[in-house]
Amino acid sequence: MTSSTTAGLSAVDFEKFREFFYKRTGIQFTESKRYFVDKRIETCIKQAGFPGFNAWFSALRLSDRSGLLQDLINQLTVNETYFLREDYQFDSLLKTVLPDVLAARGGAGRMTGPVKILSLPCSTGEEPYSIALRLLEEWDQIDHVDVEIHGADIDSAVLDKAAHASYGERSLQRVPMSWRAKYFAPVGAGRYQLDAGIRGAVTLHQINVCDTTSMRAFRDFDVIFCRNVLIYFDELSSRRAAENLYGAMRPGGYLFLGHSESMSRISPIFTPSRLPEGIVYQRPSGGPR
Amino acid sequence: MSDNRPKVLVVDDAATVRMYHTKLLDDAGFEVAAAANGLEAVEAAMSTAFDLFVVDVNMPKMNGYTCVETLRSETVGTPAPILMISTEDRPGDADRAYAAGANLYLVKPVNAERLARVARMLTSGVAA
Amino acid sequence: MGLVRREQQPAEAKAAPSVETLLRQLDDPDPDCRREAALGLDGVAEAVPHLLARVGPETASTVRDALLTTLAAHDTTEVAEALAIHLASDEADLRTSVAEALSTMPGSVPAIIPRLIDDPDHDVRVMTAMVLADLAHPGSLTWLADMIRQDPHPNVVTAAVDALLPSLGPEHTELLRDAVRRFPDDPFLRFTVEAAVG
Repeated sequence: MTSSTTAGLSAVDFEKFREFFYKRTGIQFTESKRYFVDKRIETCIKQAGFPGFNAWFSALRLSDRSGLLQDLINQLTVNETYFLREDYQFDSLLKTVLPDVLAARGGAGRMTGPVKILSLPCSTGEEPYSIALRLLEEWDQIDHVDVEIHGADIDSAVLDKAAHASYGERSLQRVPMSWRAKYFAPVGAGRYQLDAGIRGAVTLHQINVCDTTSMRAFRDFDVIFCRNVLIYFDELSSRRAAENLYGAMRPGGYLFLGHSESMSRISPIFTPSRLPEGIVYQRPSGGPR
Repeated sequence: MSDNRPKVLVVDDAATVRMYHTKLLDDAGFEVAAAANGLEAVEAAMSTAFDLFVVDVNMPKMNGYTCVETLRSETVGTPAPILMISTEDRPGDADRAYAAGANLYLVKPVNAERLARVARMLTSGVAA
Repeated sequence: MGLVRREQQPAEAKAAPSVETLLRQLDDPDPDCRREAALGLDGVAEAVPHLLARVGPETASTVRDALLTTLAAHDTTEVAEALAIHLASDEADLRTSVAEALSTMPGSVPAIIPRLIDDPDHDVRVMTAMVLADLAHPGSLTWLADMIRQDPHPNVVTAAVDALLPSLGPEHTELLRDAVRRFPDDPFLRFTVEAAVG
């Protein structure tokens, strides 16, 4: 059962690994991803200097070397951010989630306060600005309600870039040409800067999602996008992050995780809800308050 | 052939029990999927229409009773039969299972023949 | 109408409640208020005895989870010992929640494992195997192997095999075969061992 790193993982090793990775990150690999996963694990084992799978896997499971898990997640997930990534969740937002939010809050024109949307982590701004663009271009209620969009990240360097909002071709590849012409201006070196009106409408914050005290500044959000970050946290941190997100939401509010993520290994406080485009989580609306 | 077999979801936090029940039900002609707690079961049931659920009682994150209540609630709303299997046999446990929406409550150990027989009986309307 | 920027509010408006306020809110009739108080006491050492005292009596699972999330971050012997008492609780949800919390405390839990492994209540020993399944500590595998080798109760041995499953290697073959010989009537155990060691 000892596996050599050159011959790939044995079926038993792969099964152990799959179970472990799912438990720690909520991400499940199917058998069809086997080759991809094998290759990435081999890379991790080599980079960390282990003789083989068993030694590496023991260290991963039983030690506090959190760097090993971080490297592994980096290898197995896509970190790239670009405009309109995982766009189907924005489809859900427009078609299902926002109409429900308006209905729950008494309908457009009758509700007190704006609809509040949070993108966390917002990285260099592609996600909150994508939400802004889709709302402006495609949501028929945008002229009837106020919408606040907030972006938050722990990293001040990416927030500076988000505030500047200039992007290269790779980041903009999914943005339709007509939107590009309307909302972006070339600033040289093949880069395009987002319209000042939209930049100014998105509020940016530096925050650590695991810090309950600073997260108290966020209240009553109707929708939160928290995609592909909880997978990086250990069990206790992801639980605290989930609790803090819950506290930042209005009862009945919606939480989107990354497409391969699940709350089921983290915390039971949210209620999963099935939308045509996938699963979304809600803070239960019942109870006092 | 896998398309015609009735689909069952085995819900248990113990990997050994999941493996054991998966093997028994696979041998009995079911297509088997597994979940390690009640929340995972609820999410699985939202994307797949199962013909039968086999649910443990004591699990982390969401226990079996809450899982069954949620499967029966409008969140999921499954009409499929639900079999609950518990390690404990305390007064009131079976009543609680039935009140949550289970069709049958059994106490472990459930041997291979009994599990296969009960699973077939509960899904007798489904083509196998 | 349309996209609006949030008007900046003065920072004082968001000042966190004091520790005294949060401690008082642990007894608030509103579970949401109790939950937020429990989370807000993160890192406050003087709050630990107050939080520990509420784990058992708390009826709302959301509040209990919040208490345990904050307590588990205090990876100390005081917290580990006080939480471990609930492994013997009659309430299954409390037992499993506490086991989950203990498994995230590798600094302090190892010191109490030898005692838990010898607990006269076999249900406590089953829960101990659950703690060891996820405890990031080099001793976990050895303790689980000890439980498989020595524990007189089949449920404990099965739970320990379950916990050891992800780490099973050829070195465990004899240990597992021996366990099957000790409990020949346990179908789970026989099946698991056959599947694991072939």
